[in-house]
Amino acid sequence: MTTALFYLFSIFLLGSALFVVLNRHPVYSVVMLVFSFANLAGIYFLLEAYFIGILQVLVYAGAIMVLFLFVVMLLNVSPERPRARWVPLDRWWFGAVALVFVISLGALLVRGVGQLPSARSEVPDGFGGITQIAEALFSRYLLPFETAALLLTVALVGTVFLAKRKI
Amino acid sequence: MGSADILSTLPELVLIATALLLLVMESAAEPHRELLAATALGGLAIALVTALGYGADGLYYSGMLQVDPYARFVSALALVLAALAIMVAVPYLRRTLEERGEYYSLMLFATVGMLLMVKAQDLTMVFLGLELLSIPLYVLAGFYRHRSSSNEAGLKYLLLGAFAAGFFLFGIALLYGSTGTTSYSGMAQAINSGTELSRVLTLAGFGLLLVGFAFKVALAPFHMYAPDVYEGAPTSMSAFLSTGPKLAGFATLLKLIAVVFAGTMVHWWTAIWILAALTMTVGNLAALRQDSLKRMLAYSSVAHAGYLALAILVTNYDSGFAMLFYLTVYVLTTLAAFGIVSLLEEGEESAMPGVEACKGLARRNPWLAAAFTLALLSLAGFPPTAGFLGKFFLFNATLDAGYLWLVILAVLNSLVSVYYYLRPVVAMYMQPGKNTSALPIPRMLIPALLALAVVALGAGFIPAPLVHATASAISAIL
Amino acid sequence: MADTLYLLVLFPFIGFLVNGLGGRWLSGKQSGLVASLAVAGSFLIGAQLFLGLLARPEDNRRLVQTLFTWLPVGELNIHVTYVFDPLAAIMVLVITGVGLLIHIYSIGYMRDDPGIRRYFAYLNLFTFMMLNLVLSDSLVLLFMGWEGVGLCSYLLIGFWFSDAAKARAGMKAFVVNRIGDAGFLIAMIMIFDRFGTLSMADISWLAPGAGIDTTFITTVTLLMFVGAVGKSAQVPLYVWLPDAMAGPTPVSALIHAATMVTAGVYLVARNSALFALAPITMGIIAAIGTITALLAAIIAITQTDIKKVLAYSTISQLGYMFIALGVGAFSAAIFHLMTHAFFKALLFLGAGSVIHGMGDEQDLRKMGRLRQLMPTTFMTMTIGALAIAGLPGLAGFFSKDEILWSAFNSSGGISWIWLVGLATAGLTAFYMARMLFLTFFGERRWAEGVKPHESPSVMTVPLIILAFLSIVGGYAGVPEALGGHNALHHFLAPLMATFQASGEASQAANHPLELLLMLLSTGVVLVAAYYAYRFFVQQPGLPETAAGKFPQLYRLSNRRFYVDEIYALLIIRPFRALADLLWKWIDVRIIDNLVNLAGRTTERLGGALRLMQSGLIQHYASLLLLGVVFILLAVAMG
Repeated sequence: MTTALFYLFSIFLLGSALFVVLNRHPVYSVVMLVFSFANLAGIYFLLEAYFIGILQVLVYAGAIMVLFLFVVMLLNVSPERPRARWVPLDRWWFGAVALVFVISLGALLVRGVGQLPSARSEVPDGFGGITQIAEALFSRYLLPFETAALLLTVALVGTVFLAKRKI
Repeated sequence: MGSADILSTLPELVLIATALLLLVMESAAEPHRELLAATALGGLAIALVTALGYGADGLYYSGMLQVDPYARFVSALALVLAALAIMVAVPYLRRTLEERGEYYSLMLFATVGMLLMVKAQDLTMVFLGLELLSIPLYVLAGFYRHRSSSNEAGLKYLLLGAFAAGFFLFGIALLYGSTGTTSYSGMAQAINSGTELSRVLTLAGFGLLLVGFAFKVALAPFHMYAPDVYEGAPTSMSAFLSTGPKLAGFATLLKLIAVVFAGTMVHWWTAIWILAALTMTVGNLAALRQDSLKRMLAYSSVAHAGYLALAILVTNYDSGFAMLFYLTVYVLTTLAAFGIVSLLEEGEESAMPGVEACKGLARRNPWLAAAFTLALLSLAGFPPTAGFLGKFFLFNATLDAGYLWLVILAVLNSLVSVYYYLRPVVAMYMQPGKNTSALPIPRMLIPALLALAVVALGAGFIPAPLVHATASAISAIL
Repeated sequence: MADTLYLLVLFPFIGFLVNGLGGRWLSGKQSGLVASLAVAGSFLIGAQLFLGLLARPEDNRRLVQTLFTWLPVGELNIHVTYVFDPLAAIMVLVITGVGLLIHIYSIGYMRDDPGIRRYFAYLNLFTFMMLNLVLSDSLVLLFMGWEGVGLCSYLLIGFWFSDAAKARAGMKAFVVNRIGDAGFLIAMIMIFDRFGTLSMADISWLAPGAGIDTTFITTVTLLMFVGAVGKSAQVPLYVWLPDAMAGPTPVSALIHAATMVTAGVYLVARNSALFALAPITMGIIAAIGTITALLAAIIAITQTDIKKVLAYSTISQLGYMFIALGVGAFSAAIFHLMTHAFFKALLFLGAGSVIHGMGDEQDLRKMGRLRQLMPTTFMTMTIGALAIAGLPGLAGFFSKDEILWSAFNSSGGISWIWLVGLATAGLTAFYMARMLFLTFFGERRWAEGVKPHESPSVMTVPLIILAFLSIVGGYAGVPEALGGHNALHHFLAPLMATFQASGEASQAANHPLELLLMLLSTGVVLVAAYYAYRFFVQQPGLPETAAGKFPQLYRLSNRRFYVDEIYALLIIRPFRALADLLWKWIDVRIIDNLVNLAGRTTERLGGALRLMQSGLIQHYASLLLLGVVFILLAVAMG
């Protein structure tokens, strides 16, 4: 049952992600991105990481993507037109590179996963719950947590600087 | 978390506080612009003192950071580099009327990223440090918002950098999947005792980490952004772009390999061999054809990354020592070279001075010309400059490890490089320029030039102090 | 007394600083004076040290001054050490002595040049670098000098930067020398890797010990020799030297004749202990030297530019020195290096005087009959030409015959090396005589308006001194066969290794044979000079006639000429053709093109890389992706 669900979520996830990249209409792309995030949350649930899964839905699929959608609508972005500069040779080249990459990475992962032990260990009690995550965040991972906050601040400063029309 | 932990990150905290202060100063109703640079430099000076003098060596923040002589050495170098980069930037920013608190503030944040990277003892910290270094640089490369070249540089750097960061993160995930941990010691234990779940995934993870580092230090074929970004960025920023990430990237990668991946060398030496060979060749050959000084120096920095990769390939005491020595010399000379180029922009129509701009400089500013010559000769590896010594140590360590052909290639490359390094020298000394009036040399540039003289000539003639410092630093990890 | 050793090197450096940084406050003459004084100071100290050296017992002639320890870490212990031993002494005296004369001469020659201060600054810098090269005990310091002299040469060739051809010549010298430097640098790293030291004294001491395999020694010596080939303009890397003549004539005299180009010879002689262990390398050195000596001499015959004649002559004479090195006669090579410095500097400066007097005319076809107009130049150049041709009693005679005798001895009889050496001696006499005759004898062929005049005494006095040295310089090494003591040979002997097939070992024997060979070579020289006289003075039209270019051929019906004509048809013409072939075809087309090709290929590759640098971020990302694939496959699939 879980295996079937996993593959279902995965296929939706990859398919919608591809759609995000390939579609020329930004609004469709954002909507598909929301969908792919939802599928990712599904996979988190399957892994019994309920808290992360909920956060994924609330923060990413919910708040952030809605913001994206608003931005896209406010800017009134028109669909991207194919670019004249892209000569056919380039298309073949990019296609070939992407193909080579997917094949080699796929082969590698298949080989690597083949080495993994097949037995599935039981997760401990309370795994993926708020308590455990909070404990990890505020003890062992305190410094990364704080640094991530700093990182966001820096990104904010940079964005504001670049985006402000007049400083 | 205790006070010892806080003390161990005192330099970072000082820098962060200063950076925030700078933002506040900038947003004041009547900002005192002339105080901005002084504040930033003051913060760096305090950070330098604390980095060298405070706290005991050891593991901090539950094993996230490690303070040791190696980290102290690289941190000190990074802080000095940042201070000099700011000093180089001051006259440039003032001349172009772009002096703003954000510039210095972002520089300090980037420096924090560098410090965290070399202290990191856990891949999560490495990643966060790397991003903390990168994000300010993306902004700073595009700092001159009215210049389209600067915008383009910032955007290119951001897009490709994010692309590379994705691989880096995926690599961490694979390593975590295989070893069950992201800490250096835990991964080392799993790999060396063979308790990792999948050797293939471990190696793939390492390979992807390598991609991330290779992008930051501009190893071919991940270097493509470097010439465009270094050329388009404000020159004062190119000075830092071509040195800071290389310093942090190589120092961190060396430690990572030395501590965690040394045992798996049979798997990856071919890859690094080829990357190193490709990088030095591509960098030098491309530099031959450049007329723009910034672009020439950009390709030169790519070539130097190729040489430095030799140290990564070998990863033993000798090569690590050679790498630290080489890095020290390289970052300070390159910084000074870019600083001088930023001066030459004055009076040029375009913001990208070519070799032409050097003509007659020996007559206009003999000392400046002498300094530029010194920087170029040191980069080219002329004896008795320290650049020669660095190459000598590096090539010798590589030969010791048995890579004869690679050393031959490197020697040939460094001899080819002499050609383009000497072109500006010839222009300065042999060709008359249109302009004969002396360029005013800003006082702020003098420390950078002094640092250049001290490291390129001083460490060339009396290398013992630097050799001792680097040797004792490297013995902490190798 | 070794305490003053550093002053030797310091003086030219001070001169460089004064001229380089304070040049703007000096007049041209003052600047020349400063430069000359600096070199004079070095020369005086060198002479004093030399006398001190002579006063010491033979096995203790080695003054060492360690300025400071450069690298005191672990196994690395590189000292900055200057060593003044017999070999260094001779080099120092040649560099500073001949150098001083050339500096003085330059005051007159460069008088009207606006860049004269810069010129003297570089000349001093060159002297400084060259002294470092010959005085240092460490290969690192030697390499510094080696690169430094190359840099100065590069700067001085392109001295008159307005000329694109000169800029190109500088570039060519630069590219060719890089090939040589690569060899040297790799050899240096390999030596350090094996011996753990870079002190040449230590290496010479360690090398003969057990446990060093022949392959290693052969490789290292060959690589070093590649460096020497580049610096000393031997086949196939000689092409840069004729082009380097684009620089001012005194520079040609100092750098491209007397000192820098002999650095390769010095390098091999200094490391004779290593080379003596590598018979294969020695064979290659001898072969390269022989080929170079002959090839360059043949090409010199047809050159019409007076400086080009001298340039090819220099290459040929350097070939001679390498012959000596190759057969193990290390001290003979140094002997010839010394005498060659005297007479070749003299010839170059004389040529400079002619060029100066003719208003910058270098074409031999536009000279002639300058004998009375430039008496001093004529006299001194004649002495120089006689000396290089090897007229008995003059400097070149003794050094050349020592080399020929060593070559003869090394194979125990007539060998192709010896034969070619002998033929080259004849050719040398021929082209030197031709140059003299075309310049000073025959018809006046210069254009109207040119007023040839003798040069000022600041230029002629150095000529006279060099002429004197070209006469007496050889008496430092009069062979025992002529009743001498071969003083120079014994002076150098403690430093020079013995090569197994050395021609020197049995040299003391068989004096009558040596005398016979001397007579033979003198005969060859005289015959060659006579024919040059016939062709270029008595019958100036002859070579052209022989080539069938002039209908006057039929007017000349006297029988003697008929013989000459046959000779000319049979020998001169094929010879000319050969010379033309060698020069135009091999030199200009093949070797030049190869060198250019190397340069162009790297440039093209650079261009191709530039094409890849399209600026399009998608392209960069796709290459990045390919890089990821490569790393993944190489790391995880291997």
